[in-house]
Amino acid sequence: MSSDNTTQTSRRAFVTLAGAGGIAGLSGCVGFGGNGDGGDGGSNGGDGTDGETGGNDTPDTITFGQPASLSGQWDFLQPGISQATDAAVNHVNEAGGPLDAELEVARRDTAVDPQEARTVATQLVENDDVAAIIGLFSSEINPLWDFLQDLSTPVVTPWPGSTFLDTRGGDKGTPEDMSDDEWVWRTVVGDTVHTSGSAAFAIEEGLDTLGVINGTTEGERSYVDGFVSAYEANGGSVAERVEVELGASSYQSALSRLFEADFDAFLMSLPQESAITALSDWSDGGYGRQPILSDTLTSQAVIDQVGSDLNGAWGATPGQSGPNYDTFEEIYSEAGDADINAWTPPAWDAVQVTALAIERAGEATPEAIQQNLGPVSSGEGTEVSTFAEGKEALANGEAINYQGAATPVNFTQHGNVFGTVSINTAQDGEFTQTSEVSAADVREFVEEGQY
Amino acid sequence: MSVLDRVPTENGDLALLAGVCCVLIGGLFAVTPLRAQLPSALYVFVEVGILFVIYGLLVLGLDLQYGHTGLVNFGHVAFFAVGAYGTAMLSAQDTFAGIGLGYPWPLALGVGVVAAALVGLGVSATSIRLRGDFLAIVTLAAAEILHSIFVNFEGIFGGNVGILGVPRPIAALVSDADTRLVATLLVIGGITLVALAGITRITSAPYGRVLRAIRADELVTRSVGKSTVTYKTQAFVYGAALAGLAGGLFALYNGAVAPGFFTIQVTVTVWIGMLLGGAANHRAVLAGLAIIMGLRLISRFALDVTPVSSDVFASIRLIVVGLILVAVIRYRPAGIWGDAQELGVDR
Amino acid sequence: MGLLQNIIFGVITGSYIAIAAIGFTLIYGIVNMINFAYGEYLTLGAFIGFFAATTFPLPLPVAVLVAMAGGGVVSLVLARAFFTPINQTGPVPLLLTSIGLGIALRNAIRLVAGREARYYDTATTTFRFDSIPDLSVGSVDLLGGFFVTSEQLIVVGSAVTVFVAIHGLLTRTDVGIAMRAMGDDESLARVRGIDTQLIRDSVWVLAGILAGLSGVLLAIQTNVNATTGFSQILQILSAAILGGAGSPYGAILGAYLIGIVLALSTAFLPSGMSGLSSAIAFGILILVLLVKPSGIAGTEVREA
Repeated sequence: MSSDNTTQTSRRAFVTLAGAGGIAGLSGCVGFGGNGDGGDGGSNGGDGTDGETGGNDTPDTITFGQPASLSGQWDFLQPGISQATDAAVNHVNEAGGPLDAELEVARRDTAVDPQEARTVATQLVENDDVAAIIGLFSSEINPLWDFLQDLSTPVVTPWPGSTFLDTRGGDKGTPEDMSDDEWVWRTVVGDTVHTSGSAAFAIEEGLDTLGVINGTTEGERSYVDGFVSAYEANGGSVAERVEVELGASSYQSALSRLFEADFDAFLMSLPQESAITALSDWSDGGYGRQPILSDTLTSQAVIDQVGSDLNGAWGATPGQSGPNYDTFEEIYSEAGDADINAWTPPAWDAVQVTALAIERAGEATPEAIQQNLGPVSSGEGTEVSTFAEGKEALANGEAINYQGAATPVNFTQHGNVFGTVSINTAQDGEFTQTSEVSAADVREFVEEGQY
Repeated sequence: MSVLDRVPTENGDLALLAGVCCVLIGGLFAVTPLRAQLPSALYVFVEVGILFVIYGLLVLGLDLQYGHTGLVNFGHVAFFAVGAYGTAMLSAQDTFAGIGLGYPWPLALGVGVVAAALVGLGVSATSIRLRGDFLAIVTLAAAEILHSIFVNFEGIFGGNVGILGVPRPIAALVSDADTRLVATLLVIGGITLVALAGITRITSAPYGRVLRAIRADELVTRSVGKSTVTYKTQAFVYGAALAGLAGGLFALYNGAVAPGFFTIQVTVTVWIGMLLGGAANHRAVLAGLAIIMGLRLISRFALDVTPVSSDVFASIRLIVVGLILVAVIRYRPAGIWGDAQELGVDR
Repeated sequence: MGLLQNIIFGVITGSYIAIAAIGFTLIYGIVNMINFAYGEYLTLGAFIGFFAATTFPLPLPVAVLVAMAGGGVVSLVLARAFFTPINQTGPVPLLLTSIGLGIALRNAIRLVAGREARYYDTATTTFRFDSIPDLSVGSVDLLGGFFVTSEQLIVVGSAVTVFVAIHGLLTRTDVGIAMRAMGDDESLARVRGIDTQLIRDSVWVLAGILAGLSGVLLAIQTNVNATTGFSQILQILSAAILGGAGSPYGAILGAYLIGIVLALSTAFLPSGMSGLSSAIAFGILILVLLVKPSGIAGTEVREA
């Protein structure tokens, strides 16, 4: 394009000068090794020094970061987690707060998108100065694994069931030695474990052949893979498996294909809305046979919409029979009316155990928390049910072992937890717990060191 | 003669110079003990900056396709994904799901670019002869099909988990977090500047004039004897190759690829950036992309000062993005820096 | 279950898509734009119908009519505000505007309506026909027993009613004939004295009515939330283009073709690929565009 020479020159000059100026400015931040003269650079950004490097004095506020699914596909699950987190934070503050400081939560939306999650995590750690991250989904953790390791901030999350995390995370049983630590802890029972419980129960009930219908998202697939491997290991066989897309207007074709095969029971693993469509189609089609539901589907909405055809269907849910579930439920129900889902009690646990780690450590730095999550959650200490009890016990110089609402929260070397799996059956218009598979039985399905 | 007069300015030579400098400086950070200090509050900005220069390659490619040749490509993220997955699958070691072959990363990067170009060739072959909005549909459909394939063939592409364990060359050389961020930004930024130089070269040459003639009126261009299909196909394939390069660089930066990184959001962001800045003006489209990504970033911080709850805020942000697109088309279709007459949108 | 059952499923899916695709393709042919916000028109129709059915409890058929009327109004308002002012700028700016509008609308709906999915209160009866013989060819049953539900019958019935009504509209009424004239050649239509803006407005209203109906039917089968319509937009788009952009009859054919392909591919693809059914639908679209860009109904395709 034709250009005006004078504008060209002055623009060129501007860019050159700006560039040179920029380089001069940055040169203060460039050096050979060491901390050197990055000092002026550091002071610009270092406004929030709460509990950061070398904080000798206890800070006034400690912040936890919560990447949340405020928009996006799973946003209907967030209210329960937000409520549980806020209730736990209130409880912690009412008991005096970790290190007598006030605990706060910085909640930011990631829409369950790993790119957004990366930006949010950086922002939480670098700008909001959080001591720990309470949140993140499997679909965010898995592709960002290397990034999270570099971030070196404990991630205590109630969400991910993914088998990817079975052998990743935690402190590898060596709290003192941080060189082998992998920073990610989860307070929710992994898919491998609770699907094993479910599969074991299915075999016990005499359901030897299985049909499967599942969605293509990771959570759904991972659930089915876990279930099927435990199921087949115990003598069951899968007759047919159909994968479907989410949000379809009708699942009749998929169901019709599935039910051509012969099986005693069929497993459905779909997100709630698609599952309701599929189960309604199943009910209309009169296909019958025993439905087994994934844990997210044992909710009231499913029964309300599908109706009485669903009677007798069951699903296995972890995380409702922790030792201190009732304590949690009482406090939670006073804090609002969001539904309790499978991830709500683990969110409570995540806040409690992290606050206790700070209390034990005596400082609110990421490294200190990472080193103390193991010791406050397992071992021979006094069993405590809440932060308040734990704070008191620690003040008395005792070791503690936090027993949670979802599970006993005894972190394994890989930062995972075991819990009892409740079997909930649809009866008379609601899901009621009819049986359970104990944590000890469930543990048998998982090889030592593999979880 | 002042120093300023001696700095080259024609045809993107300045960009080439700047680009090579950036890559060299970035390389210096990577291989020598030279270290940078970065205040931690700025990490977020540098990370978004790295994403910006990667998306910058995307927008440059799209500008070549739409701004210069008038091809409406609404599946641009597909080429980004192909480049990324190609590079990832060839170079990943010990991936949790899917295939990882463990070849050296320069080879993988090259393969990623070529793969994206080939897919671009395939897609363009189907509809390069059709009207603008038909091409939009076909490219959109192609992107959806590719997304479906990546998600469904779990054994090959890793499903929703994706391909993990991709080598990260810069991270491997530099262990200090500050320096690593700065080095990555400089190296990838430098590559984008070199690409800018290359694109500027192509489009200010007579080749570029033919492309713009095709955009303005294809029939006339054909009547003077130019094989418009060839030119259009070439422009499309170059744009796809650039997107593939962006994808490969992304894979090598992030160390993993997953379908969640390649959604239609990427296409929409790049389109809005291009239209906002002014299509057919390379620096303008980069500026437009910077504005739209900057807005997103600033709005995150704005959350702290707005009185609404964060889930309301998240929806409002997206509503604003949609309305920006509508407003740009309505009130300033040439974009902020574009030339209305040149683009044929003056009324 | 045999081929017959799967074809029936395909016909039912095709019916939802067909109703919406007619509206979509009329917009394409007469207003000359691809409206990517059309999915949101379906969603709005679903919401209007839902609130009509629950707040002042109206019987469901009345709520459906309210949804249709509401859809028409909404469509006209949006068109006047966003599309009519830039009518002269060409198909690409209109397409891009509709994309931006779609994003804004989707999130505005979520903002106002919240995240919880809502469900229509309906009762279904199933009609079974089990005694039909399976005519087996190899491993495939050509016939075999099948069933249909009352909801499904209503959907197909509505679709057929709509087709008849549209046909009547286009062939027997002045407005309809004017629409066809405009779709064919706008300048000539104007020369003949047709008020093109009025006809355009009528097309928007009609498309809105159809979207409202399709949205409610879809929501009855699934649920009402901010993405109810958006999840179908690509199929509607494919059906319209497949059938030949601008031709309502083509859109109907295209919709049923897509519906049947979806059903058959779910039924007969090797398992492990069954999640690919919509990718296959798009693949067919691309294939048809390669071979016959004017689509099945063979409308004239304006080249670049």
